[in-house]
Amino acid sequence: MIKLFSLKQQKKDEEGSARAGGSQKKASAAQLRITKDLNELNLPKTCNTEFPDPDDLLNFKLIICPDEGFYRGGRFIFSFKVGPNYPHEPPKVKCETAVYHPNIDLEGNVCLNILREDWKPVLTVNSIVYGLQYLFLEPNPEDPLNKEAADELQSNRRLFEQHVQRANARGYVGSSYFERCLK
Amino acid sequence: MKVTIKSWTGVATWRWVANDDNCGICRMPFDSCCPDCKLPGDDCPLVWGTCSHCFHIHCIVKWLHSQPQQQCPMCRQDWKFNNK
Repeated sequence: MIKLFSLKQQKKDEEGSARAGGSQKKASAAQLRITKDLNELNLPKTCNTEFPDPDDLLNFKLIICPDEGFYRGGRFIFSFKVGPNYPHEPPKVKCETAVYHPNIDLEGNVCLNILREDWKPVLTVNSIVYGLQYLFLEPNPEDPLNKEAADELQSNRRLFEQHVQRANARGYVGSSYFERCLK
Repeated sequence: MKVTIKSWTGVATWRWVANDDNCGICRMPFDSCCPDCKLPGDDCPLVWGTCSHCFHIHCIVKWLHSQPQQQCPMCRQDWKFNNK
């Protein structure tokens, strides 16, 4: 009888340690939330996601291929880094493709209100995808990161359009060089 | 036929009565708890704002603490707890 009890205890200890080991792998709040976001992701046909490491949902890429507007025919890659404070802080989003755009600078910083001051935790990855897609359809010269591009869009739409096409096809706009990003 | 009840066991269920199924901040069901808690129930209660939006108390308090202005993350109205 005593042996039986000790066996039981041993089994309990094993279970306990197994649970402790499991809890180390327990998904963080950010992971739980991003999993839900990605499951409910409803991408427009111009957008696609890529997961360089399929086990890491916190770091991924979004590829946008606008089918209308100034940037039609281009292929733009954004990197998403979801921090441990998500959804209380927005993901860090950078544009990895050099683009001539009023709201994206040459380092890839993106000026989109919901990625900064207007972020709130009820927003999702889907909201950001639609926000980024909107930037390509309606570049906003009121709130520029690339001032040259913004001024040009306001003063001479045709010249701006030509410069976007030149940058997308590979070439210089002013002193900045752009790699080809057409599909 | 006569039946004699020798013993009985009461069973009850509970659920939060909210205007939505999931917390908009953590996206977990209201009847579950926020991601920082282990058990649902009175230890992880729901709270309502005067704007009528509802969240896990831990989720909304964490959000309000990180903000200079106390606004509902759903509708951006000033957040006031609705102590109905």
